[in-house]
Amino acid sequence: MDLLKRLGLNKYRIDKSSHIQVNLDICRTCVEKPCIKVCPAGTYERSGDVIEVHYERCLECGAALVACPFGAISFRFPEGGVSFRYG
Amino acid sequence: MSFDADVIVVGGGLAGLSAGIVSNREGLSTLVLERGEYSGSKNVSGGRMYVHALKKLVDIQDAPLERPIVRETYLFRCGSKEVTFSFYDPDSRNSYSVLRAKFDPWLAKKAEEEGVLISYETLVYDAVREGGGVTLRTNRGDLRAKLVIEADGVTAGVSRYLGVRRLDPDFLMLGVKEVVRPEVLPEEGEAKVLVGFLNGLLGGGFVYVNKDTLSIGATVKVSSLQKEKVLAREITEDLREKMGIKGEVLEYSAHLIPYYGFDNLPPLYAPNLLVTGDAAGLLINDGFVIRGMDLAIGSGMVAGQAAKKVLESGDATKTQVYEEMLKESFVMKDMMTARRAFQLMNSERLFKTYPDLLCRVMSRMFTVEGERRRLMDVVREELAGYNLTLSQVLRDLIKVM
Ligand SMILES: Cc1cc2nc3c(=O)[nH]c(=O)nc-3n(C[C@H](O)[C@H](O)[C@H](O)COP(=O)(O)OP(=O)(O)OC[C@H]3O[C@@H](n4cnc5c(N)ncnc54)[C@H](O)[C@@H]3O)c2cc1C
Ligand code: SF4
Repeated sequence: MDLLKRLGLNKYRIDKSSHIQVNLDICRTCVEKPCIKVCPAGTYERSGDVIEVHYERCLECGAALVACPFGAISFRFPEGGVSFRYG
Repeated sequence: MSFDADVIVVGGGLAGLSAGIVSNREGLSTLVLERGEYSGSKNVSGGRMYVHALKKLVDIQDAPLERPIVRETYLFRCGSKEVTFSFYDPDSRNSYSVLRAKFDPWLAKKAEEEGVLISYETLVYDAVREGGGVTLRTNRGDLRAKLVIEADGVTAGVSRYLGVRRLDPDFLMLGVKEVVRPEVLPEEGEAKVLVGFLNGLLGGGFVYVNKDTLSIGATVKVSSLQKEKVLAREITEDLREKMGIKGEVLEYSAHLIPYYGFDNLPPLYAPNLLVTGDAAGLLINDGFVIRGMDLAIGSGMVAGQAAKKVLESGDATKTQVYEEMLKESFVMKDMMTARRAFQLMNSERLFKTYPDLLCRVMSRMFTVEGERRRLMDVVREELAGYNLTLSQVLRDLIKVM
């Protein structure tokens, strides 16, 4: 099943602004972009030298807090965000 | 400076609710802050709960448990080969499959019935120590308490805000999970452990049978995800396919899991702070069984009792008594027993070499080509291929036992 369809099964109350910030100056110097591999929600997508952040997909797993080995990602939990029906 | 409560519990999951219930029973004014719309809305677990601690906390007769786990199955895979073994005990009632979005609201209701105040949709985003207590900054304004019980889960926000600790990918696993309504539902509660299914990632898979769904997922080391070429978002799909599970996918979720082990535990207390559950790294993962929920409940209960002692002493900065009490409880005793399993889990042997080895040995034992070898000889020969000796393997075996 496609990732976006899977995410669509969850209930989201999306905040107006992103709870994830990226320091693009650091991001530009990173070749591997491990955040893309680590995030289970596909929140990070490569966009040229840097990443684009789809914060509305976030499952709030917390991996974003350590996904970037260079500390380019700052993350705080959203006020709304995802709610699970099963857990 | 005035305080909003004697004790503020941050996080309304299992550890937080347990701490709230006990602290309230101890006669302390207690407030629980939960960022989700309801308890359980943000929580994910495999999940199989060992209920011994829960039973000590509340009456579980009407608990929304899914099924008693009566069958344990281990599946080892290497390529197309597979080794399976299973243990069946129809009378076992010591663990149950659970779904947190159902279970946690039930426990929250129990807590509220006893008079525990829970404030939902309350997100703590900073904490500072001041005026003899802790001020918590939340989306609903500042709240102050002499003592904070941290139960905010694996990301341990409060400890981080207070500068007590940092997070490290080497000590964290990522759990990814799907809930599926299968075309064919097994008749009894079962827990399956899957080894060798994750395309080289360090970790394992699981399948739990619920009342009318299956929970299927995996737990993998974050550092191994950073290194390998496998995408986290494809793990559950791949696993479901490999297991041949067909049916409607109902939910996709993910959550970090602490992976510290007794020897690397983060600080369990600081002035004005007691840390419980996942936030304190209190989770046992011996490669076969993940136990976080009963330790969360157990540590929460101890924290509630310790809160009383700390506040009675008149000095809320003297929180060490909590660690002393934890050491006396099953929580620390079991963490201690499992300490060597964590050492082994940090090596690749458990996830890669042993499943391979098992398949090769089995494969040779079941292949008859004229000359029949003794099992021990086959094992020795295969071990040599991995530069391992029998005594090393035995030592490892003893570690996980
Ligand atoms: C995939 C997976 C499989 C697992 N399998 C098992 C299993 O089979 N058996 C088992 O026993 N354990 C299992 N675990 C582990 C188990 O889920 C945890 O150990 C347990 O949930 C820990 O409970 P807790 O109360 O400490 O934390 P949590 O359950 O994470 O609760 C923390 C609570 O705090 C809230 N919170 C967080 N931050 C804030 C904030 N800043 N402000 C306000 N509220 C906040 C959250 O919304 C949440 O409700 C598994 C975990 C995962 C992810
Ligand atoms: S918290 Fe998890 S789901 Fe959200 S962006 Fe970070 S890694 Fe992705």
